[in-house]
Amino acid sequence: MKRTLLLVLAGLIASAIGAAERPQRGYYVYVCAESDDTVHKLRFGPSGFEVVKTIAVGAFPADIEGPHGVNVSPDGKYWFLSMAHGTPFGTVNKFDTVNDEWLADVTVGMFPATMSISPATGLLYVVNFDLHGDMKPSSISVVETATMIEVERIDVGIMPHGSRINANGTRLYSVNMMSDSLIELDTFTFEVARTLSLVDDTEGDALLTRMSAKAKPTWATPPTAEGKVYVAGNGDNIIYEVDVDSWKITNKLDAGDGMGPYNLDVTSTGKLLVATYKSGAHVGFWDLATGQELARVKTTRRIPHGVAISDDDRYAFVTLEGVGGEPGTVEVYDLATRERVDAADVGKQAGGIIFWKGEP
Amino acid sequence: MKYFAIVFLALIATSAAAQEPAELIVEPSELNLEVGEKATLTATVKDADGNIVDRRVVFYSRRRRSAGVNPAGQVEAYRPGEHVLVAMLPKDPEDLDRRADALLTVEIPVTIPNPPAASVEFLELPSAFYAGTVVAVKTRVVDTSGATRRDVPVRLETSDPEVASLDEIGAVSFGSAGRARITAHAESVDSAIDIEVSPNPVANFELSASRKSARTGDVVFFEVSALDAAGNPVPDFPVRFATSARPAAGIVAAGAIGHVDEEGAFVAERPGLHTIIAMGGPHTAVKTIDVRPRNVRKGVEVVGQGPVRDRHTSDLWVWEAPDGRDYAITGSWGADGHAYFWDVTDPANIHLVDTVRVDARTVNDVKVSEDGATAVISREGASNRKNGLVILDVSSPTDGVRVVARYDDQLNGGVHNVFIADQHVYALSNGRRYDVVNIEDPTTPYRVGRFELDTPGHGIHDIWVTDGIAYSSNWHDGVVAVDVGGGNKGGAPNNPVMLGSYAYPSGWNHAAFPYKSQSTGKFYAFAGDEAFPYPKDDRPGAPPERAAGWIHVIEWGEWNEPKEVARYQVPEAGSHNLWIEDDVLYIGYYGGGLRVVDISGELRGDLYRQGREIALFHPNDPESFTPNAPNVWGAQPYKGHIFLADFTSGLWAVKLVDSDWKFMGEPE
Repeated sequence: MKRTLLLVLAGLIASAIGAAERPQRGYYVYVCAESDDTVHKLRFGPSGFEVVKTIAVGAFPADIEGPHGVNVSPDGKYWFLSMAHGTPFGTVNKFDTVNDEWLADVTVGMFPATMSISPATGLLYVVNFDLHGDMKPSSISVVETATMIEVERIDVGIMPHGSRINANGTRLYSVNMMSDSLIELDTFTFEVARTLSLVDDTEGDALLTRMSAKAKPTWATPPTAEGKVYVAGNGDNIIYEVDVDSWKITNKLDAGDGMGPYNLDVTSTGKLLVATYKSGAHVGFWDLATGQELARVKTTRRIPHGVAISDDDRYAFVTLEGVGGEPGTVEVYDLATRERVDAADVGKQAGGIIFWKGEP
Repeated sequence: MKYFAIVFLALIATSAAAQEPAELIVEPSELNLEVGEKATLTATVKDADGNIVDRRVVFYSRRRRSAGVNPAGQVEAYRPGEHVLVAMLPKDPEDLDRRADALLTVEIPVTIPNPPAASVEFLELPSAFYAGTVVAVKTRVVDTSGATRRDVPVRLETSDPEVASLDEIGAVSFGSAGRARITAHAESVDSAIDIEVSPNPVANFELSASRKSARTGDVVFFEVSALDAAGNPVPDFPVRFATSARPAAGIVAAGAIGHVDEEGAFVAERPGLHTIIAMGGPHTAVKTIDVRPRNVRKGVEVVGQGPVRDRHTSDLWVWEAPDGRDYAITGSWGADGHAYFWDVTDPANIHLVDTVRVDARTVNDVKVSEDGATAVISREGASNRKNGLVILDVSSPTDGVRVVARYDDQLNGGVHNVFIADQHVYALSNGRRYDVVNIEDPTTPYRVGRFELDTPGHGIHDIWVTDGIAYSSNWHDGVVAVDVGGGNKGGAPNNPVMLGSYAYPSGWNHAAFPYKSQSTGKFYAFAGDEAFPYPKDDRPGAPPERAAGWIHVIEWGEWNEPKEVARYQVPEAGSHNLWIEDDVLYIGYYGGGLRVVDISGELRGDLYRQGREIALFHPNDPESFTPNAPNVWGAQPYKGHIFLADFTSGLWAVKLVDSDWKFMGEPE
């Protein structure tokens, strides 16, 4: 009954959107359904927002392996998927974007999550989130994507989660959720170049090995053109602005009690930030020049997770996990109006999302 | 010749071409290193005019645990083999166009030879050698690193072919009495044994059998008596066994229908006259036995069903609750966290009495305590990713099942399987280890211990506890027995002590059921596989994916001497969960349905082929989640019935009945 109501709701949302609000070009995203072992390819275009393909993933049909993170190669020809569970280690899987055919995989660490690919080298960096059992420092695996071989594993902090690479592919910015830290990784030497505590003055290795869990950072954006990295403090409801040059926190955007900012994305102009509020079930839109939240929209389903902005900065695509047997949902927001303009249901626990391409 | 590795990139000529990297040169271009040796790679970047360009080069290894390289290009050899290092020139950091690959890449082959052989030794030599007999010689090569090397060829040499001659596969034939030296050569090391070949003393060579007649599947032990002229046994007299057979009338073109192992254990797969031949030097002894059909086949009658047709069903447990009624609990898979409680007191009238919903997508496993009052269900796919387990009061499900506690401490990664024994829950944690949780007071569970292997890449899938010993199933590490209070090794729930383990080559170990045979008193672990090696069928409405794998029968008399003696393998299907009671094995065989197997007596060979299968049943349901696509998850015998959980259609109760279709085309 509840599922029926949700479907009706999603349908009403879709029908309420006038054709005039639909774009004239097509936008494609890939979305993971973590509790269904599926990945969905969706298109938002003149005919609306629709799932164009559902790809079953995983090697053990009797076990949910948990597709968590997804990313696309810089040339757009391949997409990569992190699968959280194995026996016991997770994997990174490679698919082509034309037929969505599985090509290869590589075993990495425990619960691999967010991935980034350096446009300078083609090497992929995946955090081994490892949220199981003892809270202890984990790692980032480096994968040669041509051969799908893990070529390095770099020690980082406790529960590394969101990470993004800079535009030229030389530095990876990654957060350690339970160590309350941001790190800068040299993607050429595979070494941690700098560490930054979000909550105190701790530095270096001590920052990676300590258990803190106050800010609980879950995401880091790539640096903007102005050299700012934004970090989601899921535990303290703060979005941190970090200046890359000075390597200091230069602003704190307060998302408000109970919001739990989780994933972030920034427009290519560096002017607008979109945040999912996982705990508060909202999406926030921030003017980065003024540090003001322009709008806050309640999501149609519980537990918003990922966000990806289109290549032309017109739309943000947001995943909603849902709870239990609810389907996952992907919502589309118009960044000019900060209003939701469409939504589509996908598999259960929709999480990782990546923008693939816009056409024409 | 190859002192430089050169990659040339044809770049479009521009005025700036002279500034663009065109060549990446790495010296040396290949490496040959001994284990532990170090070297340094030097990378030079040049433009099209041959001018050196100052650019960073990235080094990495495609087999970093065997040959390492650091950012400065310093290489260290760790393990033998053929490895590849990579030097990569990244693209210009200022060029922000989308691109996938580095500008230039050079591969540097690294050869690390195996350490030389340090020793070769003879193994398991008999205490005496006799003219006219043949002995297979075993050797072992160990290299200077201490590793056993099966890849090093061993060449045997004899000092006197008249006394001891050799064949290509290492068998030594003793011709006449005398002395000879057998030398084993491996690379530059060798080892020799001086043997004395005695005249063949055997005057009496007889073959006896442990039984005069047998059914298919019965193990008959054949023994040779080799006596000298004085009637004394001849020690270590080598004997080889062989078998031939004439199948029963009506069996045509059957192929091999029986086998005998090197210890003389014989088992027939089809009825007929089976002849066992023992050979020892010039002596031969023959015995023929008449093997009859096993005739254990039963039919299956459906008694009742508790249908679950809107979602997948996972595991089941059937028990008598303190209220005196019989119940079954079933989990759900990939749905919304439901566990179902069924009154099965009358298996013909299975009815749902309660449901419990927890924050999960999958309730994979369900277990009930020995007193029938407490149940534990596992959680996977929790909305907050804090999975763990849920403890339930199931004293009287008819009056309602009550959640009494949730426990997720350090079980975030998901609890796939659980077991309850002696007021403790053994809960898998993310397929990595198991935690032991005290539930003496079910409302306040707390962890008292844990067990985790220390092998590389270890994992775990299932656990079963009986008589104070925990048997876990650990994929490549096989079945692991741990003393948690009953193993006499000082183990306890808060101090698990490993007793032994048995692994098999496929690495598919998924479940295990410990069992002491009622008919022989021997102790076994029945280890089940899980594997899905077949291609996926992604068509809408396609049946669940086809599985592979089988049941491994491990005779486990001493903890350090497990021996795999038999298997039950359905060729076209794959095993899942299993249960044993009264020398009958019940298996949820996924798409192969329910399988019921007679495991009485000694066990050898492939039980499937021996006519030991009592029954099979496919729970077809045209209205199931996937219509008519039975996929049996597990089965449990209970009070004369067999209850089974089917992935697509829910709970079933069946019973075995005399079969009215005994003739299957030929004598069974």
